[in-house]
This record gives sequence, C-alpha cells and structure tokens, in this order.
Amino acid sequence: MVEGKKEEFEPKIVGFLCNWCSYAGADLAGTSRIQYPPNIRIIRVMCSGSVDSVYILRALIDGADGVFVGGCHPGDCHYIDGNYKARRRMVLLKNILQTLGLEPERIWIRWISASEGQKFAETIKEMTETIRKLGPNPISKQWNV
Amino acid sequence: MTYKVLKIKDGDITKSINNMFREILKSGKLKALLIPQEVPSKKMVFHVLISNPEKLNADIIAPVLANSTATIVSYMTKIEPANKPIGVVMRPCQIRALFELVKLNQANLQNIVIIGVDCLGTIPIKSFSNFPEKKTPTHFLVDSFTKKTNEIDKYMRTSCHICKEPVPNNTDITIGLFGVDIEKEIIVEACTDNGKKLLEDLKLETISKEGHAREKAVKQILEEKNKKHTDFIKEKSTIKGIDAITKFFDKCINCHNCMKACPICYCKECLFESTVFDAEAYKFIKKAENKGLFKMPSDTILFHLGRMNHMILSCVECGLCSQACPVDIPLMELFIPVADNAQKEFNYHPGKDPKEKIPMIVYREDEYKEVGEE
Repeated sequence: MVEGKKEEFEPKIVGFLCNWCSYAGADLAGTSRIQYPPNIRIIRVMCSGSVDSVYILRALIDGADGVFVGGCHPGDCHYIDGNYKARRRMVLLKNILQTLGLEPERIWIRWISASEGQKFAETIKEMTETIRKLGPNPISKQWNV
Repeated sequence: MTYKVLKIKDGDITKSINNMFREILKSGKLKALLIPQEVPSKKMVFHVLISNPEKLNADIIAPVLANSTATIVSYMTKIEPANKPIGVVMRPCQIRALFELVKLNQANLQNIVIIGVDCLGTIPIKSFSNFPEKKTPTHFLVDSFTKKTNEIDKYMRTSCHICKEPVPNNTDITIGLFGVDIEKEIIVEACTDNGKKLLEDLKLETISKEGHAREKAVKQILEEKNKKHTDFIKEKSTIKGIDAITKFFDKCINCHNCMKACPICYCKECLFESTVFDAEAYKFIKKAENKGLFKMPSDTILFHLGRMNHMILSCVECGLCSQACPVDIPLMELFIPVADNAQKEFNYHPGKDPKEKIPMIVYREDEYKEVGEE
C-alpha cells in the first residue's frame, strides 16, 4: 500500500455453501462464466445445517466483514431437514446479535439450488454492495476480543 | 384440592422439616434423599445423598447454592435411570434446569421424586462462609423473611433478587413458605400421586386450598418479582456494541468456570476446550500481521458468544455463571436480557414442560418463510 493513499474498502465475505445445492450453484456460475465479485471466500460444507453459529462468529471476529450461508431451498435438503434447522439457528444467532447490538445484517442466509448459477452471482453482487455500504466490520478492528 | 400443614415446633423450622424427612426415609418409601446439609465446619452447605435417617441434619432453607443440583441429578441418572426411589430437594431454578437436561437426554426422571421448595433466595458462597452478621445465614434469612425487613437483600445474589419464578412448578411435593407464618407452620403439598404416597402416613393436618392465604401471597410475589425482572432487563439492555461487550469481558481470564458451573452446559468435551482452535505458529503470526496485534489467550469473546448461542434458549437464569467467576464478571447481566429476547422469539419457556422439545431440534416447514428469501 502506498503511503498516504487511501484504498477503497473491499469487503471480505466468508461463504459457507452446502455441497449439494449452493456449492453446485456457485460451480455453475463459474463454468457458465458468469461474473461475480471476488470478495467471497467459499468454504464447502456438507449441509447448511452443519454450520454452527461458532463458525460464523469466528469468521466475524477474525476479520470477515460479512458471512454468507447458502443452502438448498426449503424442502429440497439432501439430508431432509438440515436447512430447516439452519434456518432456526440463523434466527437465533441474529436475535442474539440484535440484542447485543452486533450488526446481524452482516450475516446472510440464502437458498440457492444447483441450477441457479445466475441467482448465486446476483446474490453475491448484492451482498458485496450491501456490506461495502455498511463499511468495515468493527469487531475485526478490536484486538482484545 | 388440599394442602397439608406441617406444624413448626419451638419456632425451629429446620428441625421440624428434618423430622418430617426422617420419617419419610424411615418409612422406606424413599431409598435415599438428595438434600442440602451443612458441612461440619458450618461454613458451607452442600447437597448430600443420604440414606440413614439418623444422619439427616439438613438445612433446606440455607441461602446458598453451591453447585447446580440439576447437574448432580444428571450425574446420578445419565448412565442408567434410578432403580429405587430417590427424593431430591431442589430450588425452582434447579428444577427448571433439570427438565432442560431431561430434554437434552442428560438426565432421567424415573424413580426421581422432586421435592421443590419455595425459594427465599441465596447469597454468594463468599458471603455465606464468612457471614458478617451475628446470626447464622439461615436464621438471618428466616428473620428477614418473617419480619419483612428485606435485610437479606443487601447480600442476595442479583439473579435471586430479580428471579421471576421463586415458586416451584412440576414437583411431586412442594414445600410452601409463602403465605404462611413460617415460625408456626409451613405448607406441604402433594402435587402428584407419587407425592401423595409419600405423605399419606405422616401425621399432617389437611386443610382446604380454597381461599388460603398462600395463593394470594404467591400471586403478589410473582407480580413483584416479574416487575423487578422487567426493570432489570430494561436497565441492562444498554450493553450494546462490540466496544461495550469487550469492556464487559475485559477481566476474563478464559478459565471457563462459568461454563463448568452452568447447569445447561453439559458437553463432556466442550468445543472451546477441545483442540479445534489450536493452530500452527505461522497462523498466529499471520493473524498478528492482519490485525497488528491481538490479545493472548485469544477467543475470549468467541467463547462467551459461542457458549451463549449453544445454551441461551435453555437458560434458567440461576446466575451460577456469575457466582463461579473468579474475577467477578457479572455474566448474568449480559445473559439474562439475551435469554429473554431469544426465548420470546421461539415462544419457549425453559423448564416449564419436560415433554416439550428444545427449539433447536424441531422446526415447522411453514415458519420463518422470510428468512433466506429477502
């Protein structure tokens, strides 16, 4: 970084994508050469239901500006009800963060199927812009967390 | 609908209650009783599992909660349910915690007879074992309660001060202290058939529940306590934002005592005590380069917020986390407002019904439709 020159804020987003739908959706976006922002760092998980709140908190505390969780559409879960459970867990996590004033809007959950490459690209575009407007995550600036 | 009345002899409430428990033990209807009893030095009161009625010298009113009673019952019944009837004398918060552990498959109520006691509150262990007044803590509490001086309030733990449910529910037997003159008599109510069987041979007077002063007294106490609880939440909801939260946990030494004292945290191997967060030196150095610096040991806030996510829906507001903290962080001041909001979101009342399922393992297809569809 050149001294004195302020770089534009580029949000860092950590994405947890379910193996069966959203990850395949992201793959489709890639193979179809649909452009989407490189701000998302994708982690493949077997099911959105396997994403513990601690993983999301860890990402936010250690420097992510936003966390994205992608799952199959309700009713389409490869493991029958993983995404329904993920949905409840997300409601709880956001409720807690709301009470503590910790910006629940930095956490997104979306249902993206394997055939929705276009939707994946658009969602990531939308999220990147929203987080860009929100600015850097104040938690990651703290050193005594 | 009737109450039984236990007459107090010589104004000594613990002696009269102990006589009743001795008779129950002698009858053989209970093989053992888990009950709070003073240690020989008189500095502390712990639960003991007692089978010999001669050795019973309990103090069920003693205003101290050393450990989570629910955890003790879980410890005794998790591997195999009790094969003989055991009576457990518990405070209301601990009964609620026990039901949460039952839902989490960590305890079994088979052959467990729950004897709930109206809770007059507890004081921290440190104040109890070095009680500055001339009287013993129990006498001081009984005096403060009967004379309505509220003198005990200055010692009482905050969680007890603002407890919204000091009256036990879902018990087999309830020992009632509200609405009676406890220097003369107390109420013993059989709430289930098991409870009735235990009490049937005791020489207790039976009176009608209709129009008894207890009902009114309980209603009044619950109203008062609910107001204190609401005010407390309003007052403490000001801890908001990452700056306030890191400040709140500034003294935390990562000892995890709050987790060990919590009746709900049952995991034998907690995620935060596992090797999950161990990493190679280069990763720590990378993190230092990213942030410039960071506190060691790290992950303090991650532990507290993570633990919160795992247990908050079952939080029974017993305040044992605050009592366990060696550096006096008042954890419940942060946890109770969060618990209140989260439990409202799922319309869940921990410890109310042992047959209910905890919200995180059930779902409805047609709920929260807006989540994920924005």
